[in-house]
Amino acid sequence: MPPRGGGVVDASADTTPPRWREAPLLREEGRKHAVPMPSAVAVPAPVGRLASRELSRTRGIKRFKWTILAPLIALFAGVLLPVLLLQLYFSFHQWTIYLGAWHEADFVGLDIFKEVLTEPRFGWSILRSLAFALGSTIGCFLIGFGLAYLMHQPFRGQAVYYILFILPMLTVPIVVAYTAEMLLYESGPINDMISRVSGDQFKVAWLSNPDIALTTVMLLEIWNWTPFSFIIMLAGFASLPKEPLEAARILGANAWRVFWEVQLPLLRPVIFLALTLRFLEAMAEFPKIWALFQGGPGSATETIPVYIFLTTWQYFEVSKGAALSYVAMMLMIVIVLLVIRVLRREKRALDAMNVAVRRGE
Amino acid sequence: MSISRRDFVKGGVGLSLLSTVPYARNAFAQAENDRIVAASKAIGKTDLRGMIWSNYYVPMQPSMEEFRKLTGIGVGGIQDISIFDIPQRAMAEALSRSPQFDFFHVDAGMIPSLASAGLLEPLDGYMKKASFRIDAVGEYNKLLTYRGQTWGVPTDGNVHAQYVRRDLLENPDSQKRFADKHGKPLKFPETWDDEFQIQQFFHNPDKNLWGSGNLRNRANGVTWYLMMLYSHGGFPFDDEMKPTLNTEAGKRALEVYLREKQVAHPESPGWGTPQMIPRNVGGLTVAYQYWDGTMKQNENKEKSKTAGKWLYGIPPGAMVGGKLRHRTISSPLAAVLVNKYSPRKEAAAYLACWWGTLKASEQIVGDNVNVFHDAWHKGHMTSKIIQDAYSVDGLKAVEKCLQIACPPIYLTGYLEFQDQLGKHLSEAYVGQIKAAEVLPRVEEEWAKIVKRVGAGKLKEELATYKSVMPKIDKPA
Repeated sequence: MPPRGGGVVDASADTTPPRWREAPLLREEGRKHAVPMPSAVAVPAPVGRLASRELSRTRGIKRFKWTILAPLIALFAGVLLPVLLLQLYFSFHQWTIYLGAWHEADFVGLDIFKEVLTEPRFGWSILRSLAFALGSTIGCFLIGFGLAYLMHQPFRGQAVYYILFILPMLTVPIVVAYTAEMLLYESGPINDMISRVSGDQFKVAWLSNPDIALTTVMLLEIWNWTPFSFIIMLAGFASLPKEPLEAARILGANAWRVFWEVQLPLLRPVIFLALTLRFLEAMAEFPKIWALFQGGPGSATETIPVYIFLTTWQYFEVSKGAALSYVAMMLMIVIVLLVIRVLRREKRALDAMNVAVRRGE
Repeated sequence: MSISRRDFVKGGVGLSLLSTVPYARNAFAQAENDRIVAASKAIGKTDLRGMIWSNYYVPMQPSMEEFRKLTGIGVGGIQDISIFDIPQRAMAEALSRSPQFDFFHVDAGMIPSLASAGLLEPLDGYMKKASFRIDAVGEYNKLLTYRGQTWGVPTDGNVHAQYVRRDLLENPDSQKRFADKHGKPLKFPETWDDEFQIQQFFHNPDKNLWGSGNLRNRANGVTWYLMMLYSHGGFPFDDEMKPTLNTEAGKRALEVYLREKQVAHPESPGWGTPQMIPRNVGGLTVAYQYWDGTMKQNENKEKSKTAGKWLYGIPPGAMVGGKLRHRTISSPLAAVLVNKYSPRKEAAAYLACWWGTLKASEQIVGDNVNVFHDAWHKGHMTSKIIQDAYSVDGLKAVEKCLQIACPPIYLTGYLEFQDQLGKHLSEAYVGQIKAAEVLPRVEEEWAKIVKRVGAGKLKEELATYKSVMPKIDKPA
């Protein structure tokens, strides 16, 4: 029990508040200003109370963290982990649904992984997924960012625009697909509208040309998920500190320089977060592609999720499906780790910039 | 009382003749229903749960309710999903050996795969107990058998028939021009080449009239190819389960399949039934093979602009051994299959039999609003309400088609074989790969599937596959 009020403390014990223990730089900073104390000296009452309050606060934070984490860990251990382990089992055992029970499957070591990793069809599906995710993420971000920039200052009727802009995100992807199917026929309303506006006969086969099919879904994805980037970027703009912006304006920077040299650098971590979340989500897109194309025309839209679905639930190759899923998961983990690294770097840079701003450098 | 053999035969002949009289047939039909009720009455009140698409289920409901009144057995709830998604869901039930569903309404092509996965209950015992038989046209009932047992009761015949625009074909001016051009009369196509000539002759994109109304998308195109392959005398495997697509028959079928691109709408690579049926019914196409159910839409005088403007018949044939061989395909043949793991499987089996009786199936197929179920029963062919729906000529064509109906790849691994073929056909159709690459590549992929499923097992299944193929080249 920590002493209450003006008790006696053992100076040999680390009296550094736990919060500081977690932040070495700050702790060092604190020690610089700390007054050396002889062993077993009486601590004045206010200092002791402060330490006690700090300790209890730290415990509260710890409890809060565990309250949040515990259900997630339980969910992971109870639901996700068994599935992952079972999937791992299938990846190393050749099991055919038609021959015998799954627990009698033959152990084949890394054979299925080798098959998956050397398969051109899977390679193509990865490339298609990457192209789709990259294109749609950039599209979502550019439009979402632009809208957020226009909306981040209050103006009359802002709420109406806000509702309008987030509506697409509230539309179920399968509905987006079926509606798009009706709109995108060669002689459908979209081509017709473009023809009328441009004055030229516009006849793009959105749904049947294998060179365009993936772009079609990409455009639908952009329409569907731009609000996501918009919301994140709007929150990013709202969280920008006012001081640097005001300082820049006082120093005579025009709107472009304020945006380019102050707002954009401060927004970089948020931008990375928006890009990453959208990219990961786009890598897993399935409903629109399946509803519109089922992987076709030809194999033009056979992305990773489509191929995994076909393998597992059309070909009933459960073992191969499990291995494909693992490889896809590893791919995603690598991407996430890279992004986390970049985000950390951005955070450090931002912290350094904040410190510099505070010091007036 | 002793009955001589002669008397017995006489009696049999008499009964057979009697059964051709409509009234007598109805009396027999009633007896059939009574027998099923008698067999299932002892089970008692039971609420069944089925996996079935509501488009199919709605017209099956009235007869189910009648069965419930008579026996206490009815359907308490369904999982309403598309028939195209049920194979995967049913397989998931097989994996978990779940008793949750009592029956599945699914493509009969899945019978080998689902039976191999241990999900299905053979129905012969129940059918025998109720003295029920699947009284289908020709040998169509065989498409529900696998390894000598019956695994399902059909509700939807679903065969491809040939459709040609009568108003175009019988136009004197067109007939003259066609005869001048080709040196032969313009008539209902007998061969694939005949059909292509007709399609080319009338194909006129400027007038929004397209030669072909066939499907060539990735999911459906394969059905057409298999029909062409069978009619050219091809069969997907030899006796050792070695794929035999890359043969003369396979190549010729591929040529027929791909050349239609010249007379098809440019968006056909991405079109399925939701896009093609309105075009066909709307009279924007000339000649095609399609599921027989669309005859009902064509001939619906209130809704169709082309009612009375169609000729129906069997799909074109190809010369095999000096004879013209016609084949059609039944896919999906929608049937009720019973879950082996269900504690209510007996009740489900009798309900399936009930739906397969003439009385119930006539009501189901004859539904004018929900037109998903197509004719298959011998009794349907003389039914007034069904004749009215299809037209007399249309129903005659259906009857002929049922006699030459083939299954898709009727083996364990049906969906795997089918999708590999469909994918490569689609890639060739849109120009992603060359035509010459299709068949060798598919054979390569099929060989892998055979290895995975087990060549020994599939070799045993080949006997069933071959036994369900039609034995005649052309129906009488």
